[in-house]
Amino acid sequence: MITIQNLKKSFRTEEVETLALNNVNLTVEEGEFVAIMGPSGCGKSTLLNIIGMLDNPTEGSYNFAGHEVGGLKESQRTQLRKGNLGFVFQSFNLIDELTVYENVELPLIYLKMGKAERKEKVMKVLERMKIAHREKHFPQQLSGGQQQRVAISRAVVTNPKLILADEPTGNLDSKNGIEVMNLLTELNQEGTTIVMVTHSDRDSHYAHRVVNLFDGQIVTESQNRAIGAMM
Amino acid sequence: MFRNYIKIAWRNLRFNRLFSAINIVGLSFGLTIVLLLFLFISHERSFDSMFPKKDRIHRSIIKTNGDFGFDTWATVPPITSLAMKEEMTHVESAARLLKHNFGRPASLRINNQNYTEDMLYWADKELVSIFDIALVRGDGATALDRPGTVILSEKAARTYFNGENPLGKTILIDSDNELEVTGVYKDFPENSTLDADMLASSNGSWFYDRRSWSNASFETYCLLKENVSTDDAQVQLNQLFEANVDEDNRWFSFALQPLEKVHLYSASYGNSYTSRIGDINEVRNMTYLAILILLIACVNYMNLTTARSQKRSKEVGISKTLGATSRSLVGRFYMETGLIAAISIFLGIVFAILLLPGFNRLTNQNLGLDLLWTPTFLTVTIAVWLITTLFSGLYPSLYLSRFLPKEILSPSLKRGMGNILIRKGLVVMQFAASTALIVGVMVIYQQTDYVQNKDLGFAADNVMAISIGGLRGNENRDALTQELENFTEVTAVSMAQGYPSMDVSGRSLRKNNLEEQGLNIQTNVADGGIIDALKLKLLAGSGLPKNKAKNDTLVEVVLNKKAIDYLGYTPEEAIGKEVYMGNPYTVVGVVDNFNYESLHQPIGAYAFHNAPTEGKSFMLVRFNSANLAKTINSLKTAFNKVAPNIDFNYTFLDQSLETLYAREKRAGQISVVFCLLAVFIAALGLFGLAAYTAEQRRKEIGIRKVLGASVAKISQMLSKDFAKLVLIALMIGFPVAYFFMENWLQGFAYRIDIQWWVFALAGSIALAIALVTVSFQAIRAALTNPTKSLRTE
Repeated sequence: MITIQNLKKSFRTEEVETLALNNVNLTVEEGEFVAIMGPSGCGKSTLLNIIGMLDNPTEGSYNFAGHEVGGLKESQRTQLRKGNLGFVFQSFNLIDELTVYENVELPLIYLKMGKAERKEKVMKVLERMKIAHREKHFPQQLSGGQQQRVAISRAVVTNPKLILADEPTGNLDSKNGIEVMNLLTELNQEGTTIVMVTHSDRDSHYAHRVVNLFDGQIVTESQNRAIGAMM
Repeated sequence: MFRNYIKIAWRNLRFNRLFSAINIVGLSFGLTIVLLLFLFISHERSFDSMFPKKDRIHRSIIKTNGDFGFDTWATVPPITSLAMKEEMTHVESAARLLKHNFGRPASLRINNQNYTEDMLYWADKELVSIFDIALVRGDGATALDRPGTVILSEKAARTYFNGENPLGKTILIDSDNELEVTGVYKDFPENSTLDADMLASSNGSWFYDRRSWSNASFETYCLLKENVSTDDAQVQLNQLFEANVDEDNRWFSFALQPLEKVHLYSASYGNSYTSRIGDINEVRNMTYLAILILLIACVNYMNLTTARSQKRSKEVGISKTLGATSRSLVGRFYMETGLIAAISIFLGIVFAILLLPGFNRLTNQNLGLDLLWTPTFLTVTIAVWLITTLFSGLYPSLYLSRFLPKEILSPSLKRGMGNILIRKGLVVMQFAASTALIVGVMVIYQQTDYVQNKDLGFAADNVMAISIGGLRGNENRDALTQELENFTEVTAVSMAQGYPSMDVSGRSLRKNNLEEQGLNIQTNVADGGIIDALKLKLLAGSGLPKNKAKNDTLVEVVLNKKAIDYLGYTPEEAIGKEVYMGNPYTVVGVVDNFNYESLHQPIGAYAFHNAPTEGKSFMLVRFNSANLAKTINSLKTAFNKVAPNIDFNYTFLDQSLETLYAREKRAGQISVVFCLLAVFIAALGLFGLAAYTAEQRRKEIGIRKVLGASVAKISQMLSKDFAKLVLIALMIGFPVAYFFMENWLQGFAYRIDIQWWVFALAGSIALAIALVTVSFQAIRAALTNPTKSLRTE
């Protein structure tokens, strides 16, 4: 699904040029669950931004589901992203002014889906995430774990091929963290590809494969055994 | 999608009450002023549009030269309309209008009651058909045909006849002229230049068939034939003039002014009788001000909206990762702006309705609420809403929608500093405008104060001018003088044609009748009491003689210093000399110069004389009274004893002088309002910028606090930057204010100089307002628990 070859990303300020990613080569197969690990500043988030089509690489090639993404304009990237990609963030990133229902509904609106269909999909996913009873609440009225479940609902409501998760348990206590990881595993088992950036060794064990980044380069890749419900 | 946008916009308003309130209040204040100004402007622009033949109606005016200087007069010689009708092929009809007794009030006696009417005009019968004056009683075609006829406005008919049918009733004017009411016409609307409440037929009057090319005292309207251009008719009129008057006597030339220009383009014209004179410059200034205020309010909106960019960037980032395009986000921010603008417009209309009475007082207008429900107003409201939305939304929507989604994943990435420069620039401009306005207001007030307290060369206080136009016969007049002089409170009495602040007669002053060139001089028929009544300073000789024998044909004159300077005499030398003002006059006295016109005009030559060429319309009474009401009452009783058939009508000289500065007073009051508003809006802008900066520097503030900085230190650090901005604004605002106010002061012949401390004070006020505004945000930021700001990083 994802093929990255010789990918480079540099940031230029007035005085210095920083190479955030250097010659990264990575392939992610459909249905895979990949964890990206590494110390702070190693380029994990930059890589996730590029995979998520939020940013363009400086050099190299990135192929997503048969489309070369590297040179696309922002509007073209937006089109490709829509419905194909779901995002889960460490800080949830829900829109404060929208209710739980409306937050989850948002990507469907951007897909120009009809109201009845939207309602059906949103309710289905909220029920699945066990958060339907909170549909009329605003994000601030929910606990961190609940907020992350809403964020995951929003990420999966379009049935994306790929979910990108950036430290999805970073702001959660261990109980809620495990719940979130179980949800992601479930989604993966249903066929959704997941790429997750994490600091947590525990979380990385949910993945099939762990990619270790250091100073912008992939230093090691290791296969995990299938975990199922680990804990 | 739209519903969703509106939903987010609405909740954004609700969740951020303080910001929303500031934003909406700022915008709606601005819009209120814009709407009020629009009402004023559209009222002014609508003048005379109700007359069906407006496109063909023109007023003839003259441009003077020679002794009278270069001037434009709204009145022309009496022959003009006669010649136009008889000899001009381009003219279909023409009519003269002369305000009673050259603009003096008329004394009326109706059903044994006395009244005073300020709006009596003598008019040619053609006026009715030219302006299609609609008669509700009587026949418009013949109403003014006969001598001694008059038609009344509905208002006058109500006042004088209490709802009875006035047709056939008589009105006695100034005790000797009986007029029969032959019609009642619909009141002229507020936006009509014609303001007459009584139109008396010129037929039978002294000027009816006066074929003179001098005495330019008649407002004359003509109706051009279809498809005749103004220029062609004007050429024909001047040809007619040149054919009838030899070159030596042509001290003016004619011009034709289309009716649509009469109201707004005649502010500088002399001798206009209408009480409704507009000024295109005022309308233009109001338009610029409306645009400026709208701009400031919009800029403010931008400032406040983008001040919350940090928070909004998150929302934009999320929406973009979820598939929103930049275009749809631009739409979303426009939707929000549109919503706020709509709320503000609604509030603006409500405020405008509430403030309309005050605005009417301020601008001396009588604008009605009905103007609010016209299609034009509706169109303008929608246009203002669209413009406000498009303009205010421009920067926020473009700026905010450009946020990249990756920034929400990497919150450490900050946007560049470009926008902060724009924002600072906007605040500097707002404050520059505010300080300029503060300086302006102070200068206007100083000048107004100077004008009101300047020694005018005569004493205007405690002088009453009683209308005596209706008092016939010298015996009666002398008897009234006697009666009034008997009061202990009365210190001087004088009958005169007019008084300072009022137009009298213009003549040409010459040393002898051989001189070609003369000096324009104002002449006022008066009697021996005038110097005491006005407390003029006598430099040489005496006043006019108190008593004159009937067979004494000598005409005496008291000249002012300016006049004898022109003649080349010292005050003493002038006494006994003969001077020419059309006829010979003997100088008996010289008074010091005094300001008989507004202080806009330098003092010119002035003469009090006793030739019976003009009537004496006023009794000037100087009094010294502890109980004004009682004095007035006693004077009234005495007046009624001598003149039982005349209304006791009076004005105070100092009040009359104040009307000369009505425009300045109005400008002063309007500028105070604008100044307050501009300062308020600028303070809001600064508040927004301070909030933005505090948000931007949250982390820095947190770190400083952790390292031991005190609240005071941090507030000081934040405030210092803003003080710098205000100082820059002062540097821009001061020269601008100096330039404009110097220009304004040049319109006065007598004026103050702008003092340095005005700038110091204005600067201090601006700085104080800025610091108070900023310190609110600065202290709030400084008080925040640092763990909060650092944790979010």
